[in-house]
Amino acid sequence: MSIALKAEGVNKYFYTPDKFQALNNVSFEVKEGEFVSVIGKSGCGKSTMLYILSTMDTDYVGSLTLKGQHVTGCSQNELAAFRNRHLGFVFQFHYLLPDFSCLKNVMIPALRLGKLPRKEIEQNAYEKLQKLGVAEQALKPASRISGGQQQRVAIARALINEPSIIMGDEPTGNLDSRNTAVVFDIFRQLAEEYNKTIITVTHDIDFASKSDRIIEMMDGKILNQQ
Amino acid sequence: MAIGINTEIALTYMTSRRKQTIVSALGVTFGISMYIFMNSLIAGTNEWSEQVMLSSTPHIRLYNENKLCDTRMLDKYAGAGRINLISNPQLLSSGNSIANPDAIIKQLQQQPEIVAMSKQVSTSVIYANGNVQENGTVLGVNIDEQDKMFDIASTMVSGTIEELAANPNGVIIGSGLSEKLNLGKGDYMTLTTANGAQKRLEIAGVFRTTIKGVDNARSYVNIPVVQQLLHKDRSYITDIYINIKDHNKTADVSARINAHTGYTTETWQSSNEQSLAGKKIRDIIANAVVITILIVAGFGIYNILNMVIYEKIKEIAILKATGFQGKHVISIFIRQALYIGVLGALAGLLAGWAISYFVSSMYLGLGNVEYLPIAFHTRHYLQGAFFGVITAFFAGYIPAVRASKVDPVQIIRG
Ligand SMILES: Nc1ncnc2c1ncn2[C@@H]1O[C@H](COP(=O)(O)OP(=O)(O)OP(=O)(O)O)[C@@H](O)[C@H]1O
Ligand SMILES: [Mg+2]
Repeated sequence: MSIALKAEGVNKYFYTPDKFQALNNVSFEVKEGEFVSVIGKSGCGKSTMLYILSTMDTDYVGSLTLKGQHVTGCSQNELAAFRNRHLGFVFQFHYLLPDFSCLKNVMIPALRLGKLPRKEIEQNAYEKLQKLGVAEQALKPASRISGGQQQRVAIARALINEPSIIMGDEPTGNLDSRNTAVVFDIFRQLAEEYNKTIITVTHDIDFASKSDRIIEMMDGKILNQQ
Repeated sequence: MAIGINTEIALTYMTSRRKQTIVSALGVTFGISMYIFMNSLIAGTNEWSEQVMLSSTPHIRLYNENKLCDTRMLDKYAGAGRINLISNPQLLSSGNSIANPDAIIKQLQQQPEIVAMSKQVSTSVIYANGNVQENGTVLGVNIDEQDKMFDIASTMVSGTIEELAANPNGVIIGSGLSEKLNLGKGDYMTLTTANGAQKRLEIAGVFRTTIKGVDNARSYVNIPVVQQLLHKDRSYITDIYINIKDHNKTADVSARINAHTGYTTETWQSSNEQSLAGKKIRDIIANAVVITILIVAGFGIYNILNMVIYEKIKEIAILKATGFQGKHVISIFIRQALYIGVLGALAGLLAGWAISYFVSSMYLGLGNVEYLPIAFHTRHYLQGAFFGVITAFFAGYIPAVRASKVDPVQIIRG
């Protein structure tokens, strides 16, 4: 199996308020189709690492390769286009656009990509919402549904462009056990049947233990990778 | 794809902040309507004052000016090989007349720009009815030619111009003169010149131009009457009035006529310089006001967009995280500014027309101005819309660029 993600000697410093090393020589690989969980205490640098892996944060030392493309040093526009096509991201706090309906929220990245006709995108978006059990909310404004529902819409949005790598920062943090199970099953299915690479940060040990691999972090370092 | 995703987001942001959108569009509306109204009023005023000027001034006046004497005759007499100088040269009286005017008119008729010409011989006179006297100017004209130029027939309040043409001892006087001397059609009055010549004429009609200076002093008679008053012969003509097709293009035509005939030409612009200065000042005032309003409207849009971007900074970060590039973000907010601009401009065109229309029906009744003069020119409306949209574009550009520079991580990290 080929490598989906490769981080080599990634260091990240924050300079305000004081100089602080948030990531310390982080190196690891994730294979295509692998479902990886990242765990660790609050403040150990999980989110920081995920922002770098997702190409949004470019202010780091080290090297990052996604899907065989060396992305370190690419321009912001190239990275934006790369994210649009290859990456799906679920944020720690579900960020939807409140002025749009849930369905539109899911459709927007696909409309930006512009590869499919609008009708087809709408159909796909609706299917994704259905998979996550929020199809009834499709036409409601995103600001008028519960936090858990918003999180599931956000997951549907991350999946819309059929990205090969999906990253989640506590994507199930707001969900009850039943919906957590739904999300887990979807991730598992994406990894096994569609050969997608899944990297999620989680505090849910149960969730993590069922995934393919656990990466444990502490104080900006990787403690062990099974 | 019917509408792009950038357009869709821009429109959604506009409609979800309806009040702010309307307020900022109203800024543009106000600017554009003022632009149109001010320009219509200024143009109307300019056209009106031009019309007033041209109702008594020809486009070009051809006359014979006294010239300083030169050495031409001396050179001819003394022959070549000598250089002649005149110390203390004097003005030569040219007799103020145009020699052989009919030949000159015939020549000028070849020029395609010239639409009307009228021979004039004028002198200042004292009008008298019994013991009552008034100063004024009498113009000896061919009344038909003069009518073609200044439309005298339409200003007649009694009598007709044909009656003057038919009566060699007739005179048409201004309405002010008619009141001051208590004279009406069919009455007689006496004209006396400075050199003592006198003539008794029958009033063939009364005109009213509503210009006080003209109505109180001017009278028209047939050319021989003035020639007799001045003790001159039947070919004595002091001026030829010339109207051309486009009264704004007097400069080159007058230069050509001057070169052609050798007589002095004076354009209506140069004889009304102070009025044209007034026109320029009006233009500057109007432009200053309009530019101010447009800048204020621009700041309105700038402000609103800045606010929207401040509110939406998280959403902009999300859009960028999901793959929107800087140019896409710029496009979203510029579109929003442009739509506000177009919306405001359309309303501004309507409002500008409505304001102009209402003001143009406001009764003023001062002097010869009955209603406020307002011009309706498509040009002003096109310019107004153009400036409105341009203002909106630039007002939106700065916030849009700022939005495109949002760093998604910084925002999402919180
Ligand atoms: N913008 C910032 N400026 C300075 N320090 C920061 C900044 N963001 C995070 N940090 C620090 O970096 C460290 C790692 O933060 P990070 O958000 O990655 O933690 P985390 O593992 O995701 O925690 P949690 O599980 O609570 O989300 C923390 O000690 C935090 O204080
Ligand atoms: Mg975190």
